[in-house]
Amino acid sequence: MSGGVEASARRVAVEEETVHARGYWRQSLHRLARQRVTLAALGVLLVLFVVGALAPQVAPHGWNWIDLSPHWRNHPPTFEGGHVLGTDNIGRDILTRTLWGLHYTEQTALIGALFATLLGVAVGAFAALLGGWPDATLMRIADLVAGFPAIILMIIAFEYFRPVSVWTATFVFALTLWTVVARITRARLAALAPEEFVQAARSLGATESRVFFKHLLPNAAGTIVVAATSVVGLILLVEATTEFFGYGIPSIERPTLGNLIGEPTSSGIGAYNIVGLGWWVWVAPAVLLVVLLCCVNLVGDGLDAALNPHTPRR
Amino acid sequence: MQVARFVVRRLALGLLALAGITFATFWLFESQDPTLAQVENHPSVLHAYWLWVKGLWGGPTFHLLTLPAPARLNTTLSTSVLSALGHTAVLLGYALLLVVVFSVAVAVIASRGRGTAVDITMRSASYVMWAAPAFLLAMLVQLFMFHVSGDRGIGPFPLAGWPGSCPGGLGIDSGVLAGCPSAGSGIRYGLNVMRYMTFPAVVLALGFIGLHGRYLRSALFETLDAPFITTARAKGVSERGIVFRHALRASLVTFVTVLLADFGAIFGAAMAVDWVYQLNGLGTVFISEFPTDFGSINTYSLELVILIMGACVILASVLSEIVAFWLDPRVRAEQ
Repeated sequence: MSGGVEASARRVAVEEETVHARGYWRQSLHRLARQRVTLAALGVLLVLFVVGALAPQVAPHGWNWIDLSPHWRNHPPTFEGGHVLGTDNIGRDILTRTLWGLHYTEQTALIGALFATLLGVAVGAFAALLGGWPDATLMRIADLVAGFPAIILMIIAFEYFRPVSVWTATFVFALTLWTVVARITRARLAALAPEEFVQAARSLGATESRVFFKHLLPNAAGTIVVAATSVVGLILLVEATTEFFGYGIPSIERPTLGNLIGEPTSSGIGAYNIVGLGWWVWVAPAVLLVVLLCCVNLVGDGLDAALNPHTPRR
Repeated sequence: MQVARFVVRRLALGLLALAGITFATFWLFESQDPTLAQVENHPSVLHAYWLWVKGLWGGPTFHLLTLPAPARLNTTLSTSVLSALGHTAVLLGYALLLVVVFSVAVAVIASRGRGTAVDITMRSASYVMWAAPAFLLAMLVQLFMFHVSGDRGIGPFPLAGWPGSCPGGLGIDSGVLAGCPSAGSGIRYGLNVMRYMTFPAVVLALGFIGLHGRYLRSALFETLDAPFITTARAKGVSERGIVFRHALRASLVTFVTVLLADFGAIFGAAMAVDWVYQLNGLGTVFISEFPTDFGSINTYSLELVILIMGACVILASVLSEIVAFWLDPRVRAEQ
């Protein structure tokens, strides 16, 4: 009991003596707080993600609900009758579909990016720590997959796994895009390994796992966070593009922003519009997708500037 | 010598990767190929794959299967894949040229003043350009053209298609688009290609100008802060000379390597543009290899398309490494 009191007394004394130094994350937060554009983008992103996550609660109807009245087929946006963003050619409410689309797109992008990051960090760390031929092999594979157009790989995978569910898509993205994270993690860890503070920790007798978790990983965290953000953007982009081609999650399976834009537009807008679909069917999801991508890119660049202040800016 | 060893090693790895990719896809889709399934004493996957590899050298080996599909591959399909490669190459070349020219222009204009109204406007525009997916941009531009002047396109620039082809599919009957004029020959053909490809190339380039123009701008700012620029200024070099002769040259090294390393993404976006504008490039051919009615894949022709696309991407990545090797002494030192 008295030992505890003594220890806390000593801690107070130490705190009074030391100069108040802010840690890496506090400093990064301060740098982030100075970037108004990034904060705004982050705000928009948070609002959209919360709305998307709450789609089951906030959407006026279920994702596959159809208004059976013939009046509500391909109806333009109107404030009368509850279809604010109009309806599609079989009477589904566009606002409802867009909210649910946001929900499932968000699910694929966030969970896919999470798994891709975990896998990428694991592989990158494994390669950097082992070195030698495992490193060379893993990184050559990662280079190859990361350099290959993701759209081609996705179309092949989605064709094989057809019909694609939201979870299939999520895992396919994770199993492909880990390469992006792995390459960056490995490069950062390899750069950190010869640094003096790592050698100091080792010479003081720290175990390999302590060196990794206490010294290497926290110092690579900034880079990893930025890479994870870029994977979110990549999933949003690639998912929409593959669904535009007619692969990926079909809108009868679950609506996503990609297939809500892709299905009406690839069956024809403008010159090719033989179905007579209105612009309102795809404009809302398209605007939402562009806003999402724009905010993710802005947040990624802002986080990069805040978390990695010493690496050269792009 | 060092370069040669480096290139040979990279190319060997590339070949290995191509073999891996084609075999993996062959193995995945072989069971959905109705022609392969019908063959008497159905060959093992490895054997069927080996027949395909041998057939790449124009061999009559496909006829061992005595079935129409592989024979078709030897004649019409390989020529259509090769012409698709040509169309995609023109689209990519044109778009890359636009990306380089406009990125330099954007960066140089921005370099006149960090944080001025012009700089901020261009930066915001570049974020929006990069955020709009290529397929959406292509669709919107085409829709805009259609609303301005119907199916004739704007001025000399047609709505869709490759010279001499009649755009069809996508739910249009080709009568919607005004006729199908002849492609012409010689210089006229070249001009026609320029005409038809301008809008697709601009649409493809826009996003990448947004991305790489921003990179070049930051690289330029960083170089402009370097001590050698101060030295040049002190020696009385004009501001124009500073930007073009000194700073831009130093920044272009990073720019070119990053742009080439991004080839996979540009290639992917080109597939979408190619599809929207019906250019019959590799994108369109690749998509058409995966028919929507499941289980009718022609594995042999699919592999050919995947092989050609994979070779393009791998060659580009080897090229980007060679360029980095040449331009950047630090990379050379690492090897």
